[in-house]
Amino acid sequence: MEKSKGFVIVASNKPNFYKYAVNLIESIRDFHEDAQICLVTEERFIEDHGRELADKVIFCDSHYRAKLWGMAKSPYDLTMYIDADMECEHEDIANVFDEIKDHDVVFSQLTDDRSYTYSEYYFDTPQGKQSFTLCGGVCLYDMTKPIVREFMWDWWVLTRRQMANEWWPRGYSESLKAWDQFSLWWLTEKEDKYKDLNIGIFDDDLRWNYYNALNWAITRPEGEVILRHYSSGLNKDEDIV
Amino acid sequence: MSSRKWLDNAFWETSEKQMVNCILELEDDVGRVTRQVMKISKTDVHGNANSDFDEVVSSVSEEVIDKNTEERRARKKAEQEEEKQRELEHVKARKLEDLFNYKLEIFEIPEIKETKNRKLKSKLRRSKNKIEANLFAMMILAEELERKEQSGEV
Repeated sequence: MEKSKGFVIVASNKPNFYKYAVNLIESIRDFHEDAQICLVTEERFIEDHGRELADKVIFCDSHYRAKLWGMAKSPYDLTMYIDADMECEHEDIANVFDEIKDHDVVFSQLTDDRSYTYSEYYFDTPQGKQSFTLCGGVCLYDMTKPIVREFMWDWWVLTRRQMANEWWPRGYSESLKAWDQFSLWWLTEKEDKYKDLNIGIFDDDLRWNYYNALNWAITRPEGEVILRHYSSGLNKDEDIV
Repeated sequence: MSSRKWLDNAFWETSEKQMVNCILELEDDVGRVTRQVMKISKTDVHGNANSDFDEVVSSVSEEVIDKNTEERRARKKAEQEEEKQRELEHVKARKLEDLFNYKLEIFEIPEIKETKNRKLKSKLRRSKNKIEANLFAMMILAEELERKEQSGEV
């Protein structure tokens, strides 16, 4: 049986994320009309327009990183998660599921030459200096695999626990607690359980998660941008109108 | 034993080769090494020849200083170009963010939010500047008002 394929978009905590999410869904449909899209959001945000746009709506709690809970709750076998504050610009969005190849999960990369866009990239560990390698802004994953389902759930639980001060490894800066990139790094680098998780990187990965702040000539994708990330340039707290 | 030597990365400060920028490396009797960055003029304020200048040019050679100067000039030019490019891209990115925020405001106008004309809405979303966005917004508004008039909603 063919695997179901769909997008998961999460809007929680701040009303503006809901507005970004609606725009993202519409922009995906601009290029991929038949896309299956699941909107994970809070009941207080949902309105008729958003309900009509999404094929499925799942309600979540008002957690800053509810995105991870939403990822773990994906109703699709092959799931493409996209941060709400992104916009689709290219028809190749319809081919995203081909990027899974033989991987379990696929991310975009954090690299040295892109590090200037991140608040924290290098960090000290008891074993020496390390840096994040994977970016959680977009993630393609195969929920038919038990290890992936467990991974997604563990990522959420670990992030929730680190943010709630219920878990933190000795020798790591407290400032890292805010980042789901850290829990991702921990699970993929420190947990034996996930040492065989087959992690891939999108081909020409900047096309799939192009931070608008990545504006230096050294950080261009080879092809045209498919998903642009407006993360740093948005005032997420101020009402849009 | 103490010693002094001029490093071979000296370059001209002026195109007339009247001043050289160089590094003097000094080693004292116990092997401690210190380095001094110096700008040395060919002559002093009275027009007398400066022996340090002659020593540097003689030690490093005029050809090497010429070559260093040219390489440094090219490197600085490339850095300036990169900086200029970076600044341009930075401005472009800010402009795009501003446009994105502007369009989100437009999408909150009820008639535009609820329009069923996805083609026009898509054109609005993909518009490259505020003028284009405004034009598509006006087209959607006009269409929606007409539709409401025809259906008796207004």
